[in-house]
Amino acid sequence: MGSALFLHTCANMILTKKLTKKYGDHVALVDLDLEVQPGEILGFLGPNGAGKSTTLRILSGYLPPTSGECSINGKDLALDSLGARRNTGYLPENFVAPSEMRVQEYLMFRARLKGLKRGIAKASIEEIVKRLGLGPRMRQTFAALSKGFRQRVGLADVLLANPPAVLLDEPFTGLDPIQRQEFREILLELSQAGKAILFSSHVLPEVEEIATRVQILNHGHSRAVGTLEELNLHLQREASVLLVLQPGFTKARENLEAGRQEFQFEFIALSETHFELHLKHLDLRPKLFQWLGAQNFPVLEVRENRPDLDQLFRSLVEEDKP
Amino acid sequence: MNAFLALWRKEVFALFVSPFVFVLLGVWFLLNGLLFSVTIETQAVQNDLSLLPPYLLGSGMLVWLLLPAFPALLCIRLFAEEHRVGTLEPLLTAPIRDSAVVLAKYFAACLFFLVFWGGILLLFLLLSWNDATMDWARIWGGLLGAVLVSFLFLATGLWASSWGSNLVLAAGGGAALNYLFLFVPALFEHKEGLLGNVARLCHLPNFLDRGFSAGLIDSYALVYLLGMSALFLFLTWVRLVSRRWVP
Repeated sequence: MGSALFLHTCANMILTKKLTKKYGDHVALVDLDLEVQPGEILGFLGPNGAGKSTTLRILSGYLPPTSGECSINGKDLALDSLGARRNTGYLPENFVAPSEMRVQEYLMFRARLKGLKRGIAKASIEEIVKRLGLGPRMRQTFAALSKGFRQRVGLADVLLANPPAVLLDEPFTGLDPIQRQEFREILLELSQAGKAILFSSHVLPEVEEIATRVQILNHGHSRAVGTLEELNLHLQREASVLLVLQPGFTKARENLEAGRQEFQFEFIALSETHFELHLKHLDLRPKLFQWLGAQNFPVLEVRENRPDLDQLFRSLVEEDKP
Repeated sequence: MNAFLALWRKEVFALFVSPFVFVLLGVWFLLNGLLFSVTIETQAVQNDLSLLPPYLLGSGMLVWLLLPAFPALLCIRLFAEEHRVGTLEPLLTAPIRDSAVVLAKYFAACLFFLVFWGGILLLFLLLSWNDATMDWARIWGGLLGAVLVSFLFLATGLWASSWGSNLVLAAGGGAALNYLFLFVPALFEHKEGLLGNVARLCHLPNFLDRGFSAGLIDSYALVYLLGMSALFLFLTWVRLVSRRWVP
């Protein structure tokens, strides 16, 4: 198992192959294949009970899989759990630190636990604390912190030993919009620094904004994986385009009717100036836009109504319903 | 080693700032103070003060009633409480060996339990400062035996604490195991044959009564107590490792 897997993992910082997890009779995860490369942010999406947290817990070394393989930076979790954990920073869902410890004490404890020598640990803590804005909270106990600052302490803990792989389970839960924005910027910075980031989330716009790729999980099965564009193509969705014309152009309806057959679209007149065009295939978009130009349409705006992640997610989850 | 020391220090710190642990310590000192004052008032001890160590640290109420319960109560916070609160997950996903986790927690609990016994030692010292003639060989021997038995009970308590997040199960399971260690051999020690022989070989109060608190260090008792402690630490390690390996 180990050698074959290792050859695969040279480019993949986080890798799972046919990962399956059963809790008694309940199957939480079925044959999950997942890859995250350095510098990539993979958003892991799914409804409650889809298997997201189970996957992250397996990858963090907290739970064993029932079958399948998984590795972090080439270290097989079954054969070298300690090695894999040395390469991983993991933020569990609802991160909790010992309530009696001050932030400063906790971070020093975690740094030492991760094998950093005192001097290096101190420097590392100083840098991370500055980056995450934890400075004023360093002498507070964990129990006295707000949810947002607790998450920051968790993230500081994740970053202490500068791990190449970062696993975050619902990192945006409980954060206010400003904290989310800050957290998002931190994740983008980390990704630019070459870290492979795998995070699960229910907050679809957050995933849409920062994830390089998205993997959608439902009932333990991977339903789709790729960039948003790829997912869109994968689902063979029709393209929808909003066309806004200059007022006073009376031949719009007539001209669109003429082009309807040739470019395989249907249109809905929302008003005299606004038309919604539905194309059978995404590939037809360039030809359509050329044609609109050639017909001398007084176009004010052409906007593609791209299906957002929410729609994709819903459609995939709906498909699985019995 | 870094990771082990870091965790050990954190566990010691956590024990020393835990209100629950200080309540335990207070109850322990109160009950032992009462036992001490009752024992010292008995006619036999009044006549011969050298009987105080075997009465107190041998097979008295302290060993039969209090000693099995307190280590188990102390241990619940080591794994079960961490599991319940949610701090076990960050710990077990950190790059530290499971064996180091078990040993760091165990040695922290052992260090703290020395504080429990320190209170008893103080009572003997108070007597000595009041010009009582003490048999220090018996006192040190008795304390050594009691410390070793409590270390064994901490190991069983640690194992029970690793079963899950149920605090009652952790405390009750650990204490029940410790009482079994005391009562089962006592029930069968007078039987003939193998059962009786095994019971006599495992009879903890006898180790304390006839050995340690008589001022004698019995190598068999030493090996038995250390070996059984190691066995329960190993079982705790197996419990942790199996969480990672057994699907």
